[in-house]
Amino acid sequence: MMQCIFLLSDSGEVMLEKQLTGHRVDRSICAWFWEQSIAQGDSFKFMPVIASPTHYIFQVFREGITFLACTQVEMPPLMATEFLCRVADVLSDYLGGLNEDLIKDNFVIVYELLDEMIDNGFPLTTEPNILREMIAPPNIVSKMLSVVTGTSSNVSNTLPVATASCVPWRKMDPKNTSNEVYVDLVEEMDAIISRDGTLVKCEIYGEVQVNSHLSGLPDLTLSFANASILNDVRFHPCVRLRPWESQQILSFVPPDGQFKLMSYRVKKLKNIPIYVKPQLSSDSGMCRISVLVGIKNDPRKPIDSITVEFQLPPCVLSANLTPNHGTVNILASKTCSWSIGRLPKDKAPSLSGTLVLAAGLERLPVFPTFQVGFRVMGIALSGLQMDKLDFKNLPSRPYKGFRGLTRAGEYQVRS
Amino acid sequence: MFTQFGATAESLSKASTMVFRIGTDAHLYDDPDDVNIAPLLDSKFDSEKCEALKRLLALIAQGFDVSNFFPQVVKNVASQSIEVKKLVYLYLLHYAEKRPNEALLSINYFQKDLGDTNPLVRAWALRTMAGIRLHVIAPLVLVAVSKCARDPSVYVRKCAANALPKVHDLRLEENTAAIEELVGFLLNDNSPGVIGAAAAAFASVCPTNLSLIGRNYRRLCETLPDVEEWGQIVLIGILLRYAIARHGLVKESIMLSSRDLENIASENGASDTYQKGNEDSNAYFGLKESNADLTNGVCKSEVVDIVSRSYLEGPDKYLSKHRCADVLSSELEGLHFTSAKDNEDIKILLLCTSPLLWSHNSAVVLAAAGVHWIMAPKEDIQKIVKPLLFLMRSSNSSKYVVLCNIQVFSKAVPSLFAPHFEDFFMSPSDSYQVKALKLEILSTIATESSISSIFQEFQDYVKDPDRKFAADTVAAIGLCAQQFPKVANTCLEGLLALASHESTYGDNAATDGEAIVLLQAIYSIKAIIGKDPSSNEKVIVHLIRSLESIRVPAARGMIIWMVGEYSDIGNVIPKVLPVVLKYLARCFTVEEVETKLQILNACGKVLLHSKEEELWAYRKVLSYMLDLARCDLNYDIRDRARFIKELLSCYIGSSDTEEGKAQQESRDVSRVLAGRIFGGQIKAPSSEQFSARFYLPGSLSHVVLHAAPGYEPLPRPCSLNFEDPSINSNIVEGAKRPGDGATQSESYTDDPDSVSGSLNEESTSDYSYADSIGGSDGTGGSNVSSSLSEVDVHKEPLIHLSEVGYPNANPDGGSHVDNQYSGSNNLGELISTRSLESWLDENPNSGHNLSEPSSIRKSSARISIGHIHGRVEPKICALLDPANGNGLSVDYAFSSELSSLSPLLVCLQVSFKNCSTEPMMNLQLVEDNKRQDSSDHASAMTESSSHGDVPSLVPMEEIANLGPSETINIMLQVRFRHHLLPLKLVLWCNGKTYPVKLRPDIGYFVRPLPMDIGVFSAKEAQLPGMFEYTRRCIFTDHIGELKKGDKPGTNDQFLVICECLAVKVLSNANFFLVSVDMPVSANLDDASGLRLRFSGELLSNSVPCLVTLVLEGTCFEPLNILVKVNCEETVFGLNLLNRIVNLLAEPARG
Repeated sequence: MMQCIFLLSDSGEVMLEKQLTGHRVDRSICAWFWEQSIAQGDSFKFMPVIASPTHYIFQVFREGITFLACTQVEMPPLMATEFLCRVADVLSDYLGGLNEDLIKDNFVIVYELLDEMIDNGFPLTTEPNILREMIAPPNIVSKMLSVVTGTSSNVSNTLPVATASCVPWRKMDPKNTSNEVYVDLVEEMDAIISRDGTLVKCEIYGEVQVNSHLSGLPDLTLSFANASILNDVRFHPCVRLRPWESQQILSFVPPDGQFKLMSYRVKKLKNIPIYVKPQLSSDSGMCRISVLVGIKNDPRKPIDSITVEFQLPPCVLSANLTPNHGTVNILASKTCSWSIGRLPKDKAPSLSGTLVLAAGLERLPVFPTFQVGFRVMGIALSGLQMDKLDFKNLPSRPYKGFRGLTRAGEYQVRS
Repeated sequence: MFTQFGATAESLSKASTMVFRIGTDAHLYDDPDDVNIAPLLDSKFDSEKCEALKRLLALIAQGFDVSNFFPQVVKNVASQSIEVKKLVYLYLLHYAEKRPNEALLSINYFQKDLGDTNPLVRAWALRTMAGIRLHVIAPLVLVAVSKCARDPSVYVRKCAANALPKVHDLRLEENTAAIEELVGFLLNDNSPGVIGAAAAAFASVCPTNLSLIGRNYRRLCETLPDVEEWGQIVLIGILLRYAIARHGLVKESIMLSSRDLENIASENGASDTYQKGNEDSNAYFGLKESNADLTNGVCKSEVVDIVSRSYLEGPDKYLSKHRCADVLSSELEGLHFTSAKDNEDIKILLLCTSPLLWSHNSAVVLAAAGVHWIMAPKEDIQKIVKPLLFLMRSSNSSKYVVLCNIQVFSKAVPSLFAPHFEDFFMSPSDSYQVKALKLEILSTIATESSISSIFQEFQDYVKDPDRKFAADTVAAIGLCAQQFPKVANTCLEGLLALASHESTYGDNAATDGEAIVLLQAIYSIKAIIGKDPSSNEKVIVHLIRSLESIRVPAARGMIIWMVGEYSDIGNVIPKVLPVVLKYLARCFTVEEVETKLQILNACGKVLLHSKEEELWAYRKVLSYMLDLARCDLNYDIRDRARFIKELLSCYIGSSDTEEGKAQQESRDVSRVLAGRIFGGQIKAPSSEQFSARFYLPGSLSHVVLHAAPGYEPLPRPCSLNFEDPSINSNIVEGAKRPGDGATQSESYTDDPDSVSGSLNEESTSDYSYADSIGGSDGTGGSNVSSSLSEVDVHKEPLIHLSEVGYPNANPDGGSHVDNQYSGSNNLGELISTRSLESWLDENPNSGHNLSEPSSIRKSSARISIGHIHGRVEPKICALLDPANGNGLSVDYAFSSELSSLSPLLVCLQVSFKNCSTEPMMNLQLVEDNKRQDSSDHASAMTESSSHGDVPSLVPMEEIANLGPSETINIMLQVRFRHHLLPLKLVLWCNGKTYPVKLRPDIGYFVRPLPMDIGVFSAKEAQLPGMFEYTRRCIFTDHIGELKKGDKPGTNDQFLVICECLAVKVLSNANFFLVSVDMPVSANLDDASGLRLRFSGELLSNSVPCLVTLVLEGTCFEPLNILVKVNCEETVFGLNLLNRIVNLLAEPARG
């Protein structure tokens, strides 16, 4: 089981330590970890499991914050990883994001949360709904109150009833003034387009996100018109698995508020919304680059937030890039970022320019991969369609809302 | 314009962060010690205490040692504010181990909190109390845990389960049995939330005590989907281990497939080469599973075999045994197998774990996949593939771990993942480690149909900016080309193009990465050529041509090696050889060391293989190079030159042939030698997989590739045996009952009103509430115990013969397991005798005593003391002194009679004696606060008895008249509130009242429970560990008795002692004397081993209570007596023990 949890800032400072068992872990292990990650660079940074001389370290990196858990004995590594991810989720939910200042400013809440989430190295309460009832999230009202009166307590003094119920994810009897439920299909499109422009792989990773504000203990049933296109699925614990097994129907008692009901994957798609055509030709120490972007298969909804990013190879000394639309930024890490926004009606956006190679190089030996970002509001590109949403156990018919959203996931174009 | 806007935006965001930081704890974190913390801690305002504690917490977070505030912080544990409490707890947990003495101060508050009405407070108190980890308070914690394990709140029970590993961590041997008992109890809980935590406790406390699981196996499987996700992870592993230990491996599963293959292979008399085995396996599957799709059945038997063996034995053990694999296989052959199709237990496990493959917790999915991998029939394994692949999308951190596992699965059964090769294509966010794993998997699962797409991808990867990855890709290309000869040619072309492409950059110092790629390319080419050199002559020539441009020494070395190795192949090479050699000779001096060595070797080989006509030219080149080498700066090269010169002297020095015959002979020898050394066939390195280590899927060890501390391979199949399946089912049924009992009790107490209602009466609240739960559970427990005792009776003869020799030493019927494990680590013995040991722990010669019980049984005489009841004289206590009562003297003695009204009542013999000269009127004893009105009284009585919790006094008939010196005896029935607190009564006499106190005697809170010695020992075995309390005392009464005795005889001495003891105990407690065992030892004076057993049951709830006295010492000396009480009611048992010790120690009256 986990013995200790550390939170490190992006400069390697130990912001928090929480010892979990009697076998204390000295924080010098963080110094060791940080030295190694500086010495070994990125490949170390993304190692989820590290065997240090004294402990096994599990690492999760989120928005500049490194979450470390240490153990000395055998335990399922994914358990630690998943738990740290859960901690990161809960913290960023509580604090409205994750960064060094937010954690330091709210360190008491972080401690209290950690204490409820894990006991003796084994996860105790990780359900966000219950945690919210035990420890109140910081909000502007309580902050002001604490400034004015000098007292505040964010620790609830009663045990959430849900801990004893058979639906531990739901508050016992939430009273909502609004009676509504929103179902969003949020999809990410992963695609690989090879050097010669052919589509190697295209698939969609999607989530059914539900935002429910319903009173009582409602029982919902959601069905899809074309569930057969779903390749893989994973469910929130509230989903009953038998109805899905037999009829592919989602039957569940929803938690209150926003949650991820299900995630799915649709594979082997054929159509991609936009194309990106990079061309690189190098000669005598110079490399000419041109990138064209345009619509390939019109999703019949506006595509916005289009960006193209690529990493300049290390042998490139300098770059001079000009777009005919949008702006180009070259960051210190040699990342080129071209943000286009919406596609203009009159012209196809293009980026052109030259790269100067390091001395002694005639031609560019390696080719960067272009990462494309975009967003299509109002449509789920996988083609998944919700059929109907039924309610049981509700006094009045709630307002229902459906929405789709697709954005680029790992959408890469090779050059 | 933009910059301006940016500036304002920045200042805006700065301002907003300032605003947002107001009211947070930012200032506390930034300057935690800018105020004096100590006075704040002593403040009477909660808010100031809070602030101080937050500052301390900030200091802890920043790594400062603030343990010097401990005493002040501990005081605040009494605070009513829940936030202060929480912060104090956080502080306490951090420092308690450092300051144990001060931490003890907080214990009282925890115990008070444990009785709180708020379950959150109870849970926190328990968590903290167990979390401070002090050896001194371990027994207290254990009592607290066992109480909380019966708490009506699920959350508290969950925390109780979590507390068990904490207590276990203290490594107190005597507690182990009790902890395991509690684990078993909590596994029986009817709330899935508790079961998860209990499973975690099981895994860390007693992972090998699988018999605990056996009782609940089915139920655990069925609740598995409802258990909270973290518990599922652990529980899945436990159930898997149990299923294997109980039923063995599944014969249709992947784990056993290779073993069948081996049989087939040996029957066919086939050679055991890898290739052949593989073909056989194909043939086998083709025959047997012709209806199943063929691709599914193809698995690499060799790998599967190693995998399954490593799972079972741990790879380290397996690797050490590797050489004597035959022995091992025969060993494994003897195992029992089961079938997933017939075995209900296995079926239910697979059925209940398969929906978990959809869990949103990746650890659960992986754990469930592991079960299916090991237990599911081969044709069903398919279902784990998609969930595993989907896991890779969940988070970057889990991707690596999942791939590590997929890697092994795909190695063993490549066909499983072959159709999904696209999922292993790289994405730009992958780390290097992930990419490397994906490459390896891709090259394992490639098939004829997918290889072209995979190569397409590989070509893109070769141009990846990460050159290390590009080099790995090249290596993977080489591997694939060797696997699929059809594509070898295209590969070679690609690699050659790459090599020539890379070599153009090769001499650029900046492109260090290029060197690796080039080297890897040449290496792959070499490997491909090695498969079929003769048809690849052109490639070799091409490489030789590019020698000029390739500057990486290792790569050059490899090409030169090929020159030497393939010098006699084809038509072109021999023709170009002279030129090449001359070229090499020319640039010899500027080469790197490793290249020079290769040049020398190559020349030697060329010379060996050369035909007569070219011999002379080569010889010249070689001797030139040898001359150069002899003067080289590097001694390795000088050595090599000397060696080659000597070895090939027959070729080099053939010009001067006029030498002796002897030299001719030695020349022949060296010729043969040289042929051997240079021309010998190079053995292909044996498959790397032999050295690969495999650990259980989903384990940490598997990711770090060494056995992490605490890693356990699967248990030995079928190591857990029940003699008769009917007994097993019996146990399961028995175990279900307490669950029902718990439901009832919960449905009663879960209602918050009823709990708070009973809690309103402050002092007794705790008791009545604990009683109600304990009572209902007690009945449930006795159900179990009765069914268990049946089992034990069945087993008795068998265990009796075993070495442990003490019947029912292990109440779980798990002695088989224990014995099994004792073979490996000697722990088994400790486990099985732990309950014995725990009460003999202070015994200096415990080693001797361990085997004592059996020896006593054999060589002891059982004596009966029939006439003893005549001598029992109950102790008489004064209720009212004549001096205080105006001449009225009231005495009472506890009577062994049982009340006919209620089992809760204790009978007393009260004698009223009038010592005065005047008659007394209207004597009556009533309760303190009750009126004399008897009708009222009666109604109160009936009411209270129906409620059952108000202590009472059965109304006593009024004594109308008591004459002078008259004595009247009256039987009084009383119910005491508490074992120790006296009952306040009022004595009415002549219209006056006298307050009197009736002191309870715990010895009369029991009634005799007649039983024989067999039942006694069975019951005793069911009450080990925390239900067992021992103390020692000195007994001296018998000395006087012995001296009184006129005719001392050997047996009589013992008899006298026994009688003394028995009378003393029976005079003070209402027990049944079960047996008196007397040792028949050589030493006549030695009373050691004399053993008296008493039994009784609690009046209130019929819980059995056993007392054993064991004597040590000689007859005429004070005897050392070990008193042992076994009783489920902890508090009662401890009090009773103290009572018995006190009464034995106090000298005899008169």
